[in-house]
Amino acid sequence: MIQPSRRDESEIEALRVDQYLESILVARDRGAELAVHDSRLDPGLQIVAERLSAELIRIHPSFRFEERLARRLAEVGDTLRLPAAAGGESRLPQLLAQRLPGTPGRAFERDFEPADLLDPAHPAIDDDSSGLNTRPLLIGGAITSAAISLAGAALVAWRLSRPAHPMVRAIRAAHVRSAEQGGLA
Amino acid sequence: MARPVFRKVTAEEDRRLVHLDRDRALVEAALRDPAAFDPLYRKYLAQVYSYAYYELGSHHDAEDAAERTFVLALGALSRFEERARPVDGDGASTFRVWLFRIARNVVANIRRSQRRHPVAPIEAAAGVPDPLDVERTVTGQHEARAAWAAVARLPPERRRALVLRFVEEMSTAEIAGVLGRSEGAVRVLIHRGLRAVARDLGGRRW
Repeated sequence: MIQPSRRDESEIEALRVDQYLESILVARDRGAELAVHDSRLDPGLQIVAERLSAELIRIHPSFRFEERLARRLAEVGDTLRLPAAAGGESRLPQLLAQRLPGTPGRAFERDFEPADLLDPAHPAIDDDSSGLNTRPLLIGGAITSAAISLAGAALVAWRLSRPAHPMVRAIRAAHVRSAEQGGLA
Repeated sequence: MARPVFRKVTAEEDRRLVHLDRDRALVEAALRDPAAFDPLYRKYLAQVYSYAYYELGSHHDAEDAAERTFVLALGALSRFEERARPVDGDGASTFRVWLFRIARNVVANIRRSQRRHPVAPIEAAAGVPDPLDVERTVTGQHEARAAWAAVARLPPERRRALVLRFVEEMSTAEIAGVLGRSEGAVRVLIHRGLRAVARDLGGRRW
């Protein structure tokens, strides 16, 4: 008789836990008692699952924040309507760089890359376990115009410090070659 | 067994695809008119905010993350591709998965920025969140804090999987879509996370 390996057992138990959690959530939706006992599962796991189900609550932001952000999204929606034909998404960095009026806290100077943030296939930009990121920031001297936001400067710095895409490098190399050939001719 | 929510579908599959995304009507309305994004925003604000809050441990940072997530989502809604399939069931929402992937990246970006420009000890952000404070009427607040603290001590991916499962009530398939892992891997993350929390709480006399 073939005995299941430890890994198989672990996966089977993970599957049972998954089914158990599903039953807890369904019971909660129906307003029923959470204690849906599964004799095949470790009782300790069941107790913890029920406890987390009851105690990890969903947190709602303040009503003021909700309404402020709703107004801002409406403004963003209005803005997006106009330039849609001219590539509305190109305005995303500008839109992101703006802050909600009345939002306390530090200036909006975090770097970001909308394309990466939006890409579902992008590998996790994470993580809290990844340690310090050492890409240099060139904020300060880079700001020569009041019209350039800190966020914009961070974005430019990040782009400049980022290794170019292989295709970009290939295009640059082709340009250099053609320039050299033109110069030689 | 792996059934990622996001994947490339072939032209043949696409013809056979039955769109079941529960947010389809809302998304289509928002695509026609960005002003119609509001219902989607209202529907998912608390979920995105909660996720960010459990990850970042600060109301201010959670607001920041929610703001960026929704602005990005609105600005890039035309890029969203519906991927729900019949096997995903009537409740499937690939829009929610897409939104949470943005939120996850936004949160990671904020966390990275915090490491670069620390304005407070990181322990302060990673500590027990005070959302439980608003639930002062709930008995057993101390136990709730202990439960959250045990979850907060988990490795990031296990913690995220548990938060998405218990707080956001996502299915394993949805979590797999958000975390970019297979469903089997998500099940193992949750199982190990629960075991670790059980050990942690068991050792702390709960």
